[in-house]
Amino acid sequence: MSENDFYTPTDLDMLRMENELLAFEVRFLRARLGWPGRGSGSSPSLNRLAQLEEAESDLVLLVRRMSSSPLGPFLRLRGGFRTLEERYLSPEAQEASSRDRLAYLELAEQDLVLLLQRMGRGPLGRVFRLKREFRTLEERYL
Amino acid sequence: MGAAPSNVAVGHPVFYAGRFVHRVSDAVLPEGCELLGDWDVLPAQLAAAMERADTLVVLDPLSFPFEALTGTQQDVPLIVVLPSELDVDSLIAVFGKPVFAHLGFFDRVATPDSSVWEMLCRRYGWAEGQRVEIEGSRPEEAAQEIGIVLEAEAEAPKFFGDGSYEATRYWSERGAALAGPMPHRAICSVLLGSCFNKAMHRVQRTALEPQFAAARGARAEDIPFDILEVGTGIGRWAASFDPARTRFCGVDISEGMIAAARANFPERSFEHLGPDLGFPYEDESFDLVFSVTVMHHNPTPAKRTLLSEMWRVAKPGGRLLFLEDFVTGGWSEKSTVYPMSVLEFVELLLEATAGRVVLEHVESLRYPHDDWVRGGIIAVSKLGVPKKW
Repeated sequence: MSENDFYTPTDLDMLRMENELLAFEVRFLRARLGWPGRGSGSSPSLNRLAQLEEAESDLVLLVRRMSSSPLGPFLRLRGGFRTLEERYLSPEAQEASSRDRLAYLELAEQDLVLLLQRMGRGPLGRVFRLKREFRTLEERYL
Repeated sequence: MGAAPSNVAVGHPVFYAGRFVHRVSDAVLPEGCELLGDWDVLPAQLAAAMERADTLVVLDPLSFPFEALTGTQQDVPLIVVLPSELDVDSLIAVFGKPVFAHLGFFDRVATPDSSVWEMLCRRYGWAEGQRVEIEGSRPEEAAQEIGIVLEAEAEAPKFFGDGSYEATRYWSERGAALAGPMPHRAICSVLLGSCFNKAMHRVQRTALEPQFAAARGARAEDIPFDILEVGTGIGRWAASFDPARTRFCGVDISEGMIAAARANFPERSFEHLGPDLGFPYEDESFDLVFSVTVMHHNPTPAKRTLLSEMWRVAKPGGRLLFLEDFVTGGWSEKSTVYPMSVLEFVELLLEATAGRVVLEHVESLRYPHDDWVRGGIIAVSKLGVPKKW
């Protein structure tokens, strides 16, 4: 293959087998090096990914709940809340999440932490804390 | 074997005649071969000639710059013609470290003197099949005789069987046709050039030798180490083990291959495998049981039998080692490979051993000339309590 040629897969089966072999080797090396998942390497571990996915799902639920509450129209007066709605509830959110999944999930985790901090600090913080779900979120992310 | 790389160039023999170039130029050499004199091996010229070579015949080793062969040039198989004017001690003193110690299984030595050959063969652990037996001692005679050998190898049959691949018949026919007269063509690929096979062997050896050492572990050197190679062919891996410290046995379904293996390494033990593929050894007889590019040439039922037999004859705590192709293209009529992914193989291994193994090593291999990773090494150790103490 010359330097200017791109590798063109001609046999999907062969690619699948090669992928399986390399993935199997990586799994073995990770296990031998004692990397149960924490990101010592360049790629995040499965545990970390699961944690991020959970944060994203908590954030989506929280924003959706706030958006559909009687306070929704008032919250929408704030630019920050509108951004959260666009980012996590709009149809484009799905597309953005699949493009660069890891960056999207990390951003969701950061947004969730900021949102919880802001909600807890405000005058309504005590009211929110009366609800068990809010206390759980605070324990989990703050 | 399997999906052949598309970018393997098959070259031609290059004869280095050095100071004897004028004498050798009158000899009848194979059509298309190249003849080099001592002024033709300046670095750039030698590099260019090596790119076109599929075998390098060194008729004048005293003037050849062996140290100039680097990188992929070392994948060109050598045939070194020993100077008849030197005795064994002088040959060892002059060529021992720079040449003989680097000759591998795919390199050969040409000499008319059987006593010289035997002494060198024993000292450097060469196989009998690495000798090119010539009668003439003059370079032009040696060149002509070697030329005839190379021509015969180039015309060797490449296809066996009636067109459809059946492992036992195919390898029996191939062993009968090639193992005796041209052992190096009997193993590895018959379709691709000899450089390809030597390069493949180099990659396999580099990956396997640490695994052989790991299997031996910290065991004291005076404790015997028992090794079984399954699908041993002409016994090429026997040379990797010191006969003084190991008991090496090999089994193969081809009688022709076994005969060649016995001729290559008379001090080792080689047995023919019958159609039931049962090994002629007792349970728990070996510390290391291994196969190199064997499983993928067999259908699943045969693989299952071989795996159970390998597990049976391994000692508890002993090692099973496999170097196989786990990536292959689609089936073709010329293919001798049953495609098997690594996960399919591991599943089969767990099934055949009832899961009584521990994974010790996994390594993928990419051969020179290949655009993809296709080989893999899997080492497991056998769990269990010994039946006899």
